[in-house]
Amino acid sequence: MIRIIAWATCREAVRSRTFLLLLAVYLLGVLMSRIVGWISATDGNIITTDVVFSLQSIMGVLVAVATGTALVHVEIQQKTLYTVLSRPLPRWQFVLGKYLGLCLALAAGQIAMLLIGLIYLLLTGAEVHQWLVVAGLLTIVEVLVMAAVSLCWTALSSPLLAAVLGLATYALGHAVHSLPGLVHHLKGWQQTIAITLASLIPDLGQFAFRNEAVYRTPLPLDDLLMRLVYGGLWCTLLVVITVAVVRRKQL
Amino acid sequence: MTDDNILSFAGVSFTYRGDWLQRVHALKQVDLRVPRGSAFGFLGANGAGKSTSIKLVMGLLHGHQGDIRLFGQPLGDHRLRARLGYLPEHPYFYDNLAVGEYLAYMARLSGMSADAVPAAIDRVCELLDLSELKHRMLGSFSKGMRQRFGLAQAIIHQPDLLVLDEPFSGLDPLWRARFREVMALERKRGATLCFSTHILSDVEDLCDYYGVIDHGVVLEQGKLEDLVKQAPLVLTGSGPMPTEAMANHDGTWRWQFPEAQRAASLAALPAGAQILRLERNRIGLEDYFVARVKAFHAAGKRLDHVGTP
Repeated sequence: MIRIIAWATCREAVRSRTFLLLLAVYLLGVLMSRIVGWISATDGNIITTDVVFSLQSIMGVLVAVATGTALVHVEIQQKTLYTVLSRPLPRWQFVLGKYLGLCLALAAGQIAMLLIGLIYLLLTGAEVHQWLVVAGLLTIVEVLVMAAVSLCWTALSSPLLAAVLGLATYALGHAVHSLPGLVHHLKGWQQTIAITLASLIPDLGQFAFRNEAVYRTPLPLDDLLMRLVYGGLWCTLLVVITVAVVRRKQL
Repeated sequence: MTDDNILSFAGVSFTYRGDWLQRVHALKQVDLRVPRGSAFGFLGANGAGKSTSIKLVMGLLHGHQGDIRLFGQPLGDHRLRARLGYLPEHPYFYDNLAVGEYLAYMARLSGMSADAVPAAIDRVCELLDLSELKHRMLGSFSKGMRQRFGLAQAIIHQPDLLVLDEPFSGLDPLWRARFREVMALERKRGATLCFSTHILSDVEDLCDYYGVIDHGVVLEQGKLEDLVKQAPLVLTGSGPMPTEAMANHDGTWRWQFPEAQRAASLAALPAGAQILRLERNRIGLEDYFVARVKAFHAAGKRLDHVGTP
């Protein structure tokens, strides 16, 4: 059942206008990145590479938020899930199938973006190496975590609010990464509160390896695996929360 | 009890939180029985509780009090829904899936094997004239076309119980007739039909059982045949006229009396009176329904929203 729902969701998602539009914007951005490289004071190839990989992250997150927030709430509003949930499947399978389908679509989009980006960099004479691929893969994990975040917010609120909260979580998720460096300025209970609040938000900085990759900074395998596990745990937690919310929903 | 009824409600109440967390009693002590193999018409005005009852059966709403049994088993096991077909009110489907894709999706979710799906799609597409539209995206469908597609997805897995919420909504007269044919075919196949409507002629034409709900309370239910029997007899005659009879313009007269008084009335005919015709006065279900609901309201039994606890 989960596989069937995932496949239908993936098909629906990759054909959506939002998905295709943001992919087109990415293509345009990649083509424009060379201009940024030309006008930069430093090494143009490094700037182009940085822009291409930043675009993959930003567009991926936008697609994840846009399609993720439409996943549950819009289905309730438009009643598309009535015919699905009246079939012999429990709601947790529906939510999991939806999330996995969205992951499939997003991963396909991200892999396409990564390949386009790498080919473009090769064509423009920029250096392409393994750490760029690692950065691209970590960006995919970041996008999948953001999809789970959006799914969770959309189960709890309206699509518009879920989109705003999703983007806010993205901003906070990156801010949280620099917290350990700042927390020593706080004392006692302030420090405790800051650390507690930060632990409620996924540390998206774990997946931002772009800047290091551009300068060929290596990422040890155990560090990479830890980051992947961290992403997987957040996705699992968020999907479990979404399942708990959707199970209680009156449709 | 459950052997004869494919679906039954016993003392079912359902309350939900409305605006400002007000408690709204959508259903109150509902007792309802849908006999196996029947066509059951569920009548009621908008907001009467028809869709709420259906959604409870479909597992879209939960937290009811009382006992709902589906195929003789307590509601709760989602696997029971494999034998259900459901057309929601104002159905809407994924815009970016084609007719064939969506039908395959629904068939697979209902437990059909992948091998059986293409033939099932061909069958329902032919029935509902969707064969030419198999590759068309559902986002481009009009309301009527969505309704047709909705029925197709509801019957694709040949369910034992077909639950249709306002199935004729948005259909032109030709498609209303076609829907009736398809519903008759489904019944002939062995499916039980249960559909909600506020169009009473549909119930008169299609159903053998009916239930009337208003403000969450089932006012009455039973065989449509029994309801028809409640209609008085009308005797048209000529010659000497009984005292209670009314004269017609053509010199004949007509006398109306209840079924229970048939024998006594015929025996009381004046000598020489000639019987031309004895027929049952057709009760319009619409008139009957309106009268019942009005009487219910007049009795002050209306259920309203109750305050926040």
